[in-house]
Amino acid sequence: MEDLLIEFLSNTGFALVDYRNIIMLLVGIIIIYLGVAKQYEPLLLVPIGFGILIGNIPVFKDFGLGIYESGSFLNYVYYGVTHDIYPPLIFLGIGALTDFSTMLARPVLMLLGAAAQIGIFTTFLGALAIGFPPNEAASIGIIGGADGPTAIFLTAMLAPRLIGPIAVAAYSYMALVPVIQPPIMRLLTTRKERLIKMEEPREVSKREKIIFPIVGFLLCCFLAPAALPLLGMLFFGNLLKECVVVERLARTARTSLIDIVTILLGVTVGASTQADVFLTRQSIGIFTLGAFSFAIATASGVIFAKIMNLFLRKKINPLIGAAGVSAVPNSARVVQMVGQAEDPTNFLLMHAMAPNISGVIGSAIAAAILWSFMSL
Amino acid sequence: MFGFEAIIAHDGLGISVIGISIVFVSLILLSLAVSQVHKLIGLWDKRNTYYQRLKKPQKRGDQKIPSDMPVPQDIRRASRQFKLLIEWIGEPFPLPKLLDLSEKCGLSSPHSTINEFIKCKLIIPDDNGYYMWNKQIEEKRSNA
Repeated sequence: MEDLLIEFLSNTGFALVDYRNIIMLLVGIIIIYLGVAKQYEPLLLVPIGFGILIGNIPVFKDFGLGIYESGSFLNYVYYGVTHDIYPPLIFLGIGALTDFSTMLARPVLMLLGAAAQIGIFTTFLGALAIGFPPNEAASIGIIGGADGPTAIFLTAMLAPRLIGPIAVAAYSYMALVPVIQPPIMRLLTTRKERLIKMEEPREVSKREKIIFPIVGFLLCCFLAPAALPLLGMLFFGNLLKECVVVERLARTARTSLIDIVTILLGVTVGASTQADVFLTRQSIGIFTLGAFSFAIATASGVIFAKIMNLFLRKKINPLIGAAGVSAVPNSARVVQMVGQAEDPTNFLLMHAMAPNISGVIGSAIAAAILWSFMSL
Repeated sequence: MFGFEAIIAHDGLGISVIGISIVFVSLILLSLAVSQVHKLIGLWDKRNTYYQRLKKPQKRGDQKIPSDMPVPQDIRRASRQFKLLIEWIGEPFPLPKLLDLSEKCGLSSPHSTINEFIKCKLIIPDDNGYYMWNKQIEEKRSNA
């Protein structure tokens, strides 16, 4: 009986724990704290944070508990991440949630969404330079797209073993948009530029909104077919929303479905950060490059907006360039916040939504391009 | 491999330049397409009007021309000179061209004369932005 008790105790987490588990459990608690107390993207950070706790409870190997052990509950759920099932479903929900009106009213703002993707390719070069192989460098670069599902989608294809650190880095930086972006935006703009008021966008007809997802899908997927799973679902979700006749489907896509997938994705991505897989030198490199990527993407958007102003008759507020980094709608909210800090009567939110949404399309196209190049 | 050597070895610069170019091209094309959608919808909405216009093209000579306007004597005199100019330009004619030509030919007070022609319907619009010489008024004048 004594032996049985000793064997039981030796198999508890207290006996199996090492310092790396403790570190990861602390990281999980910090992430939950950021989500709950600071309300930084709580819908993402709370599931991811708790997933980190789940993934870092020390258990014995081959007991069918860990996320990387085949046959475990977590391993089954993780299948949706490793086989790119969850990201397109998230995109379906995003499409059903998103109103593309502001982008349709002033399509020129879509270029800001393209400019912000410079961060992805710059970071790709940076990752290559510090010794990452091309497939991993591409997965790290995509963090600059500030789009969690896209980052997971590409990493699952190119560097599955990096899903944990890349997904956590992408979602953490998305959550930290209000901390990372404002200093860069202020640094690159003058007060006069931040005070620019943009004119009201024109009214967009219902028919335009219905035609857009079809035209957008055909055009983007003919140009970058590898973006089909993401953009196909994004535009399909938007068509469900705009065509009105399938309101039930649209409501499911933008509520129940996206919520379920977010829970499964968040928990499993969090659980995939097991200490022995996550706490490596590579992860530090990924987090550093991720921050760099985010900063470059923000700066590219702002600088490109300033360049556009040299040619545009109706000037745009360069702050909205920062919203090109996807992170819908967080980065658009940051633009509004920074703009209103200068002038409380300046409402930039709806204008910032245009580059914000086109950034989602841009980052999906960038991911498709990288995937295509790495598969050649 | 590290640094620039690694970038070159993996063709990083080529991938980055082509990659960002494709992203820009895609979004530029999409923005161009989007910017035309509302115009195409507008054309579609007016398709019946355009169809009717194509089906029944309006002949310039078909329109009803007023023929009972009195023509003052001095205008009658000037009309001979202007009629020659109009024959030289050809019908239908743009008003600025007639004005320009009459100035070049040194006709007196071309602005007010042409204005008088329009008032007494010797020159009439063809509803397509051009003008025509009203032959019916002229014939009536000759008969008188």
